[in-house]
Amino acid sequence: MVEPVYLIVVALGAAFSLGLLRKAGFVMHHLVLLLSLATMTAISAQWTVGLFTGSVSPAAIPTAGFSPPISINLQMGKTEGFLTLLVNLSVFLSSLFMIKTVKRRSVYVPMLMLVFASGLNGIIMTRDLFNLFVFIEIMSIALAGLIVLNGDIQQLGAGFKYILAGALTSGLMLIGIIFTYHTTGSLNIDTIANALTPELKAVGYAGLFLIFIGVLIELKPFPVNGFGLDVYESAHPAVGAVVSAGAATATLYAFAKIAIMSGDLFLELSMVVGAVTFVGMNVVALQQKIANRLLGYSSLSQVGLLVLVWSLVKWQNIANGDLIVLGLLVTHAFAKATLFWLSGIIQKEKIEDWGIIKQRIYLLFPFAIALLALIGLPPFPSFFAKWELIMALAANQSHLAIALILGGSLVEAVYLMRWFGHAFKNTAAEDETLSVSFCQLLPVFAGGLLLIGLGYPASLLSATASPIPWMLTAFVLFTFAMEFLPAKIKNIIVMAAIAWYGYPLLTTIGGYRVIFAGIFVIGALVTMIPGFSHKGNRLGFYPSLTMMFAGLIGIIEAKETMSFFFYWEMMTVGSYFLILRGKNSKPHALSYFLFSLGGAYLILAAFGYSFGQTTSVSLDTLSQVASTPYAALVMLFLSIGFMTKTASVGLHIWLPGAHAEAESDVSPMVSGILLKAGIFGLLMTFIALGDQKIGFVDIAYVLSWVGAISALVGNYLAAMQEDAKRLLAYSSVGQMGYALFGLSLMSHLGWLGALSLSVIHFTYKVILFLAVGGIVYRLKTKNMYEMGGLIRKMPITFFAVLVSIIALSGIPPLAGFGGRWVAYNAVIEKGWMLQGAIIGFSGIIAFLYLFRLIHTIFLGQLKDAHRKVKEAPLPFLLPQMLLIGLVMFLSSRPHTFLAPIGEIVKEFKPDGALTWTGPLAQSHLGYWDGVMVMWVFMGLFAANFALLFIMNRRAQPVKQFNIVYAAERPARPETTHFAYNFFAPYRRALGFLEYPLATHFFDGITDFLHAAAGFIRRLYTGNGQTYLFQIVAFVVVVFLLANGGF
Amino acid sequence: MNIVYAVATIFITINYGLVLQGIIGKVYARVATRIGLRIYQPYINIIRQWVTRTSINHGIMYYLGPVFRFTGGGGILIFLPVIYGAPFFSSFSSAGDMLLIMYFMFLGTLGMALGGGESGHPYAAIAVTRGLAQTTAAEFPLILAIFSIVTQYQTLDVNQIVAAQQGSVLNWTLFTNPLATIAAMLAFLGSMMRSPFDVVLAPQEIPIGPPTEYQSQFLAMLMTNRTIFPVAKTILYVNLFFGGVALQDSWLLTFVIFFLKTFFVYMWSVFVGVSFPRFRVDQSVRWFLKAPAALGVLAIIFVQTGM
Repeated sequence: MVEPVYLIVVALGAAFSLGLLRKAGFVMHHLVLLLSLATMTAISAQWTVGLFTGSVSPAAIPTAGFSPPISINLQMGKTEGFLTLLVNLSVFLSSLFMIKTVKRRSVYVPMLMLVFASGLNGIIMTRDLFNLFVFIEIMSIALAGLIVLNGDIQQLGAGFKYILAGALTSGLMLIGIIFTYHTTGSLNIDTIANALTPELKAVGYAGLFLIFIGVLIELKPFPVNGFGLDVYESAHPAVGAVVSAGAATATLYAFAKIAIMSGDLFLELSMVVGAVTFVGMNVVALQQKIANRLLGYSSLSQVGLLVLVWSLVKWQNIANGDLIVLGLLVTHAFAKATLFWLSGIIQKEKIEDWGIIKQRIYLLFPFAIALLALIGLPPFPSFFAKWELIMALAANQSHLAIALILGGSLVEAVYLMRWFGHAFKNTAAEDETLSVSFCQLLPVFAGGLLLIGLGYPASLLSATASPIPWMLTAFVLFTFAMEFLPAKIKNIIVMAAIAWYGYPLLTTIGGYRVIFAGIFVIGALVTMIPGFSHKGNRLGFYPSLTMMFAGLIGIIEAKETMSFFFYWEMMTVGSYFLILRGKNSKPHALSYFLFSLGGAYLILAAFGYSFGQTTSVSLDTLSQVASTPYAALVMLFLSIGFMTKTASVGLHIWLPGAHAEAESDVSPMVSGILLKAGIFGLLMTFIALGDQKIGFVDIAYVLSWVGAISALVGNYLAAMQEDAKRLLAYSSVGQMGYALFGLSLMSHLGWLGALSLSVIHFTYKVILFLAVGGIVYRLKTKNMYEMGGLIRKMPITFFAVLVSIIALSGIPPLAGFGGRWVAYNAVIEKGWMLQGAIIGFSGIIAFLYLFRLIHTIFLGQLKDAHRKVKEAPLPFLLPQMLLIGLVMFLSSRPHTFLAPIGEIVKEFKPDGALTWTGPLAQSHLGYWDGVMVMWVFMGLFAANFALLFIMNRRAQPVKQFNIVYAAERPARPETTHFAYNFFAPYRRALGFLEYPLATHFFDGITDFLHAAAGFIRRLYTGNGQTYLFQIVAFVVVVFLLANGGF
Repeated sequence: MNIVYAVATIFITINYGLVLQGIIGKVYARVATRIGLRIYQPYINIIRQWVTRTSINHGIMYYLGPVFRFTGGGGILIFLPVIYGAPFFSSFSSAGDMLLIMYFMFLGTLGMALGGGESGHPYAAIAVTRGLAQTTAAEFPLILAIFSIVTQYQTLDVNQIVAAQQGSVLNWTLFTNPLATIAAMLAFLGSMMRSPFDVVLAPQEIPIGPPTEYQSQFLAMLMTNRTIFPVAKTILYVNLFFGGVALQDSWLLTFVIFFLKTFFVYMWSVFVGVSFPRFRVDQSVRWFLKAPAALGVLAIIFVQTGM
C-alpha cells in the first residue's frame, strides 16, 4: 500500500516541479499533470479496494513524528478512500478534458489543478481543525485561479466575488476555530468531539457555530450562493465539473466532520438549510435558460439535498446511511461532471440551442444518462439511494421530509427533462458544426459508463430488498450495443427476444398477472410488426422500446416492491423516449414524463409507508398494510400514482398530446398496451388493500366518480377533436375511465368487466391507431376534415375500423357488448346508479366520436389530392388483420375468455360470479348468450342481404357527385365534405364540458412556481457587495433562528 | 321452428306498423283540417319501392346500409318477448336480456348512418350528427329510468319484469314507479322522430338524412324497417312500464290487448308531435338533460331508499 499522505505529496510535489519545468512546453506540463493525477487516483483506488474488501484496515497517518493530538493527523478509512477516489478521478478526467480546449496554454493551469487536487485530498483526510481550514484555503485559492482561466471579464468578476465570499467565510471559520481551541484546548476533531460535555457545548457554542456556518457557506446554501452561481456560469466547463464533483464532495465531507464534531448541535439547523436550498434552488432553476447556470442551480440544489439527507441519516440513525449518502453523492459527482463536460463540447449558452448535439448523435447517450441519474431513475446508484432513503423516512414517519425530497426532485426533473427535450428535438442552424476530440469524449463516456456501472454494486447494498433481477436490464443494455444494425434486423431480434422471454412467462405465471402478461407480450409482438416499414437503422428506437417492454414485463414478474418500482420507472423512461420521437411531441413528452414521475413518487411513498408498517418489501405482503393505520394513505397514494398512468380525469392532460403526436407505430403501443400497466397497478392495489376509508369518505366510491367523469369527459372531448389521433387518445381516457369505474366497484362483476375491457380495449385500440397510422402515413395529415371518401382507396383499413368501432361501441354481436353487459350488471348489483348512468351516457356519447372517425375519414367526398392514394402498407395491415381475427374469435365465442377471467377474479371476489351454461352467461339479474346472438345476427344479415340482392342486383354504380344537391352540381369535394366542427349543436349544448379545468389547475401551479422563481432570482443581483451583505445577514439570521432569537 | 316464429313475428309486425302509419297520417291530416291520404297508402308506398326497376348504388357500404338497418330492427323484434307466456312471440328472447335489446338498437342506426355517409351527400352526415347528438341526450333519462326499474324488480329479464306486473293494473310500473315511467316516456319522444324532436329528419320542408339518399329497394328496405322499429320499441315500453301483454285465454283477446296498449303508447308521441313545435338539436339536448334526467334521478333515489 502506498501511504495515503502521498496523495498530497504527489500533487504538491508535481505542482512545484512544474514550476521548474516552465519551459518544457504544453505537452510536458499536461503529461505531468495527468500522470500525477493518475497516480493519485491509483493510490486512492488501491486503498478503497483494500478497505472495502477488508484486506487492509483503516489507517491513521501521523505527521512530524508525533501522534495526535499533538500533531496534525490524517485518516484513511472507507469513506476517505472512496471520496478521494471520487475527487481524484473527476479531477483527472477534467484535466484530460481541458487539454484541447483551454485557451491559455500556460504552466499555471496544470499547477493550479494540482494544488486544487491536493487541497481536496487534504480536506477529506485531515482530522485537524486548523489543518482543515488551511486545506480549504488552498483549495479556494487554487480554484479562484482556475475560475479566471480564460481571463474574460465575466470570469474575472466571478473569481473576484468568489475570493470576497471566501475571505469572509474563512474569517468566520478562523474566529470559530480560535474560540473552540480556547474552550476545548484542542484542534483535533476527534478529541474535541470526545471532550464536548454539555457545559462545554454551551460555553463553546459561538465558536462551534462559526466553524459550522463557515463550512456551510462554503457549500453555498440558498439564498447566499450568488457568488457560487456566477462561478458555475462563467468558469470553464471543466472547472465547473471539478467544482461540482470535487470541491462540493470534499466540502460536504468537511461539513460532515464538523457536524459530527459538534455533537448533534446543528443537525436540525443543517436539515432546514439543506431542505430550503434543495427546494429553493430547484424552483429558481425553472426559469433558467443558460445551460451552465442551470447546472449551477442543479449542483447547489443537489448539495442542499445531500446536506439534508446526511443530517436526516444522522438525526434518525438510519441504518443504511452510507449507501444513501454515497449513492446520491457519487451520482451527483459523475452526472454533474458529465453534464459540464458536455457543455464544454456543445459550447452553447442557451439550452434551446443544444439541438446541435444531434450532429454527434452518440452524445445524447451520456447526456440522457446523466440527466436520468440526477433525477434518480434506475439503474443508477441514486435510484437505490433514494429508495433506501424513502423506505427509512417512511418507517420513521418523516412525512415532511418525504414530501420535500420527492417534491423537489419532481421540480428538478422539470428543468432537466425540458433541457433534454430541447436537445433532442431542436435543430441547429445549418452552418454550425460540432467538433469533438478524443480527449473530450473519453471523460464524457467514462462518466456515463461509471454511472451505469455503479448501479449494480449499489443495488447489492440495498438493505431493504433482495437484488433486483437484472436479466431484462441486461438485455436493454445489449440493445444499445446493436444500434448499428439496420432497423429491420433489430426488429426481428427484439421480437424474437420478447417471444423467447415471454412464452415461458405466459405459461408459468398464474392468476390475474397472466392477463396483463398476455397483453404486454402479445401486444409487443403485434405492434412491432409495423416497425418493418422503416428504413435505415432508426437510432434510439429499439433501446427505448426494449426499455418500455422490459419494464412492463418486469412489473409483471416483480415479487418485491423495489423490483416493481425499478421496472415501473424503466417503463416510464422507455415510453418517454418513444413518445419524444414524434414530430411535435416535445411538450407532450415532457408532460407525460412529469405526470408519470409524480405518480411514481406517490407509489414510492406508498411502498415506503407499507414497508414502514410491515417491514416487508414483498408485494404479497402488501395486504398486511390493510390492517394498519396507514392503509387508507397507502391505498390513496397507490391509486393516484397508478391513475396518472391510466390518465384519469384531472391527471389526463398529458395523454392526448403524448398519444397523438407519437410516431404511427408508437401510438398503438402506448395506448393499447402501456395504459394497461396502470390498470394492473390499480388491480394489484385493490386486491391487496380492499376498500379503505379516509374519515367517512370511501376511497372506492370517490374513484367510481372519477372513473365515471373520466369516461364522460374523455368521450365528449373525443367527439370534439378534428385530429384523428387525438380523437383516439381522448377515447382512451374515456375507456380507462370505464376500467377504473369497474375496478372501483370492488365486486366480481366489476372486476370481470374491467379486466375483459382491458383485453378488448387492447385489440380495438391497437387496430384503430394502426389504421389511422396507416392513413396518416399515406396522407401526411391527421386532420379528419382533410380526409374523406377513402373507403374505395383503403377498403381493408375501412373494414378494420368498422369492426373495431362496432366492438368499441359495445354493439352486439361483437366482443365489446360482453363487457357492457357485465358492467351494467355490476352497476345494478352494486347500486351506484348515478355513476353508472353517467357511464351509460358516456357509452352513447362514444357513438358520436366513432361515427365521426369513420365517416369523416372513409365516407363523404374523396378529395382530388387523394385520388391516387394507395392502401396502407402491409406491415400496418398485417397486425390489424391478426387482431381482427382475435376480435372475431372473442366475439363469436365470448365465453372462452370471459369464463377463465371470471375464474381468475373468483380467487379474490368469489361472490356474485356468473354461471356459465355453455355460451349462456347468467348473473342474478339477467342472461346473455353471445353465440346465439351471433347466429341470429348472421342469419338475419344474410337473409336481408339475400333479399336485397335478389331484388336489385342490377343497381347501377354511380360516380362521386351523383347526388341530389338542390338541382346543382357540388363545386368541390372540399366544400361538400361535411367534417369540420362535426357536432356543432352538441358543442352549443354541452360546451362547458370542454372547459380545461385540469389544464388550468396545473398551469396555475406552473405559473406560481415560475413567478416564485422570477421573484427569488432578484436576490442574485450580481453585485459582490450585496452578496457579502447577504452572507452576513444569513449568518445572523441563522444564529438567531438556531437560538430561538426571533 | 324458432325461425318460422321469428319470420311470422316480423311479418305481423310489418302489417301492424303499416296500419299504424296510415292511422297516424290520418291523425296528422285531421289535426291540420285536411282529409288526408287513404289509410292503406303506406302499403302502396312500400310496394312501389320494392318493385321499382331502376336503382343506383354509391358503393359497398351504401349497399349494406339498409341491410344493417333491417337486421337491427328485425333483431330487436325477435329478441323481444312480445307476448308474455307465448313462445310463439318470444322466438329468440333467450339470447339475452334487456341490455341486449337496448344495445342492439344501435346496430341499425350505425349501419344506416354509414350507408348514407357513403353517398357523399353532406346532408346525410348532418342529419346523423343531429340524430346522434339528440339520441345521446334522450337515452340518459331512459338509462336512469331503467336502472330504477331494474333495481325495483331486481332483474334485467324482460319476461320477469312483465311477470311482476301481472295480477292487477295497479301492479304496472306506471303505478308502482311513476317517476321512472314519466322519465322513460319523455325519453321515448326523443327516439320517435316526431316533433318537437324531428329536426333530425325534418321530413316536410328540408329533405335531410340517410333515407333521402336512398331509392328503390334500398329505400323499401329502410321503409320496411321503419314500420317495425317503432313498434318494437313500443313493445319494449309496454313490457317495461305498462304491464306487458300476457297471453289470455283466447288469442283474439290477447291481440286486442296488444294492439290497444301499443297503439296508445305509440300515439303518445303522435299526440305530442301534433301539439308542439320543433326544437333545435342543442335545445333538445339541453331539454333531455334537465327535467327528464332529474325525474330519472329521483326515480332512482326513491327506489333505492324504498320510498
